[in-house]
Amino acid sequence: MRPRVAIALGTAALAVSIAVTALPRAEPQEDRVERISTELRCPVCQGLSVADSPSDMAREMRGLVRQRVAEGRTDDEIRAEFRQAYGDWILLSPPLLDARGAVWAIPPLAVIAGGVLVARRLRREAAAPVMVTPAQHAAIERRVLEEALAE
Amino acid sequence: MSWGDVGAGALRAAFPLALWGVVAATQAAWRRDGRFLASARMTAIATLALVTVASLAMVGALVSHDFSLHYVAENNARETPTYFSAISLWAALEGSILLWTTILAGAVVYVAWRGTRELPRLATTALALLFAMLSFFLLLVVTPAADPFVRLDAVPLNGRGPNPLLQDHWLMGLHPPLLYLGYVLFSIPFAYAMASLILGEGGDRWMVATRRSALVAWALLGIGIVAGGWWSYNVLGWGGYWAWDPVENAAIMPWLAATAYLHSVMVEEKRRMLRTWNLALVIGTFALTILGTFLTRSGVVNSVHSFSQSAIGPLLLGYLAAVLALSVGLLLWRSARLADSGPVAPISREAVFLFQNVLFVAVTLTVLLGTLYPLAVEALSGDQVSIGSPYFDRVAVPLGLALLFLMGVGPQLPWHGASRATLERQFAAPVVTSGALALVALVVGVRGTAAVLAFALAGFVCATVAQELARGIRARGTLHGESATTAFANLFKRSGRRYGGYVVHVGVAVIALAIAMSQAQAVQAEATLGPGGTMEVAGRTVVFEGLRDVVEPRRTQVVADLRVIDGGGSAPLVAALSYYPNATGAIGSPGIRSSATEDVYAILAAYDGRSRAWATIQIRIIPLVSWLWIGGAIVGIGALIAALPAARARERLVAATVPAGAGAE
Repeated sequence: MRPRVAIALGTAALAVSIAVTALPRAEPQEDRVERISTELRCPVCQGLSVADSPSDMAREMRGLVRQRVAEGRTDDEIRAEFRQAYGDWILLSPPLLDARGAVWAIPPLAVIAGGVLVARRLRREAAAPVMVTPAQHAAIERRVLEEALAE
Repeated sequence: MSWGDVGAGALRAAFPLALWGVVAATQAAWRRDGRFLASARMTAIATLALVTVASLAMVGALVSHDFSLHYVAENNARETPTYFSAISLWAALEGSILLWTTILAGAVVYVAWRGTRELPRLATTALALLFAMLSFFLLLVVTPAADPFVRLDAVPLNGRGPNPLLQDHWLMGLHPPLLYLGYVLFSIPFAYAMASLILGEGGDRWMVATRRSALVAWALLGIGIVAGGWWSYNVLGWGGYWAWDPVENAAIMPWLAATAYLHSVMVEEKRRMLRTWNLALVIGTFALTILGTFLTRSGVVNSVHSFSQSAIGPLLLGYLAAVLALSVGLLLWRSARLADSGPVAPISREAVFLFQNVLFVAVTLTVLLGTLYPLAVEALSGDQVSIGSPYFDRVAVPLGLALLFLMGVGPQLPWHGASRATLERQFAAPVVTSGALALVALVVGVRGTAAVLAFALAGFVCATVAQELARGIRARGTLHGESATTAFANLFKRSGRRYGGYVVHVGVAVIALAIAMSQAQAVQAEATLGPGGTMEVAGRTVVFEGLRDVVEPRRTQVVADLRVIDGGGSAPLVAALSYYPNATGAIGSPGIRSSATEDVYAILAAYDGRSRAWATIQIRIIPLVSWLWIGGAIVGIGALIAALPAARARERLVAATVPAGAGAE
């Protein structure tokens, strides 16, 4: 198979797979409970979430989340209820649209700033076609092989 | 004479010796006087001997339960088994600093005897700096800041015993020393880098000479982190291995920075670029090791207020500030001699390294600021906020996947740029493999986008490594007429750094896959059962057979006997809760049945305290998680291959690297 065809096929398989994962799926209630619980801090643990902690306290809080989900509350309503009861501390990450959500801006800013710095150094090295004799060609081939083995 | 006298005496003798070492090494470097160098070498040996005696005295005191020492009374009890007594050397602050000091003294001896032979002036200057660092840590252990040999006037009959979490699993004997080794060995590249700046060398000799130290430090730190994850999986009883806890973040930050460094040094070696950047990375890595110690040892992460109560916190912070001020000052002072040059082709290996560096630094910065953010908010406003796994996961997963992609791309691209035809030839097989593995992931039921991408990219990376190996074997066959097996062995023997690096890449791909699967595809169930009761989890039946009490001298346990029945038969599994006299809560001892495909992880969550008539059992089925530890081992093996190049080749390399600007030695 020609390389270009192989690359096209591999990329297509990858794209189809990603598309399948991105299809909207109904989220089962228990998955929603799990997802919300991962965002809440277990008050009696060392930095574990309510979803991860095996403690009694966390189990009770999971129960409350399950109850609220069954009642049909939205994610934001459930989060707000816990925030009301325990303070901002209970949320394991600050909400994006919040005074303290600025912390979310750090990673993209760091990547963009670094990317711009690197991009400014990139220059295409001008390459003019060069004619070589068969003897030179053999020598070059040997160099390439040696370089392939070099550290 | 007691253990305490021996240890305290040894440390008090070592402190002035280390100070003399600073003077002697400085004189040796300045005047190029061999007598001072000889003196510095003997001083290094003597200091190491003394701090080793002090460490052994502490181990002796712990093992013999000598409660006249405050540290032993706080961290040991008569019931503590000998193994856990011995490893209590690093159970608390003072002992940990003592271990740190001992390792640093070992690094000093290595540079004094080995380093100064290769590059006399540079290594001697570095030696003076290392002696200065050693003096600082010795100062900590001979003053109340972290004196391990403080005596008690009233000797208690028994001690409090070590923190229960530290006497529950043998891995505690491995995880902290590996981390400390990793942390401390980064002092060597840092000291050489600073020495190079002090002497005004514009060249890369410091970097070439400390390549192996940096690699070994990086590998030990990485293996230490994986061992820590394994420990937490076995002991903390929540089925996870990483919680983005500040203490964990403190360990991973220098590792991330060092990973960037290990790659960007190759750009400097090949293209004579990035000199300033590499120095900055070495400074950053070293500063992060101190910051990590500060975060974990000053108590600041629990609350900013506990910081002021410890004497060690302000001292470590002052040390960090001094290190940063001096190193950044030196870098700015010498920046004119660190000329960078050369264009970078957009599609070339060096370009990939640059982008890789950007991503690693971005991850490091995110972890750093995410860890410090709650502290800053609390200090400024008094409010308590949390930055935990939802934040770090959401940031680390996309950046990690991008890094995995670059890990496959980098080794396939030649230096200086590539033609389109080369690219197509190089990437055909890896791209096909990644597409095929994405489909495999879908077939086995993976539905998360990140998890499917992890499959695809892990396959991509492994395919590029396989292709590189095949290419190397063919090249050796053509050049030297070697058979495939001889060529294979010679690739690792002759070009260990490169092919060892590929083995590391495979290990990282395995780890990525294990993380993706264990995070995305874990299943859990919970039930409250009476004896004989059963629960179903993912096609398995778990039978609860009953509870029993186990009384040991150092703890009592409530043990749930379980039986897991699946297609292959049935097997017993034991989950327990342990109670230690010096801890208020119970410590979970999960039952774990590991296999190559998945772990069955059983937690005793609650039980009937009166009549033992029922128990609440949590079962988690965690796919591929054992590959996380195997991946860690593969990384270690790869690093070992890369760190063991033919000694003669290494010496040639050091000799051949001419410093730019400065005169020859």
